[in-house]
Amino acid sequence: MSQPPRVGSPAPPLDLPTLDGGRVGLDGPRERPVIVSFLRHAG
Amino acid sequence: MHDRKDRIEELGADVVFVAFDEPDELRAKLVAGVDLAFPLAYDPARESYGRWGLQRSPWWKIWLDPGVWKAYARLLASGERLRGGGTDALQLGGDFVVAADGTVVYARPQERDDRPPVGELLRAVKELGS
Repeated sequence: MSQPPRVGSPAPPLDLPTLDGGRVGLDGPRERPVIVSFLRHAG
Repeated sequence: MHDRKDRIEELGADVVFVAFDEPDELRAKLVAGVDLAFPLAYDPARESYGRWGLQRSPWWKIWLDPGVWKAYARLLASGERLRGGGTDALQLGGDFVVAADGTVVYARPQERDDRPPVGELLRAVKELGS
């Protein structure tokens, strides 16, 4: 288990499928900042 | 949610939600009848949760937290019905803002069942542009 990233550190990798059939990821240069929200359970 | 989407788009940011339930479970419980404003990614293996350091809470931090019971009471009072606890009620989440260059500029991993106000996330995005 890693530690959560700190402010000022590089974001850990993220590359996942989405419910609408696409993918999201943080790899490579981006033009915009991104808010990443990890949810708890769907219940 | 869509009002917030407009505000977030004004600020020039993207949003990604990540959930760990199976896609069918998410469709049935989380997004049924909801027009999703943002992409919802799924990670049943929870590898991304591990990479981002998001842990499972001790049970007592969730179930002995008065805030959790207050939240349930509010939901019931608003007419919501309680549903099953999903696959793992103890897995914690977290909220992060990542700048365009990949640097984390805001980090709020959950330590209990709480989330930051949306305004706090928007401030972190806004500060990137100032």
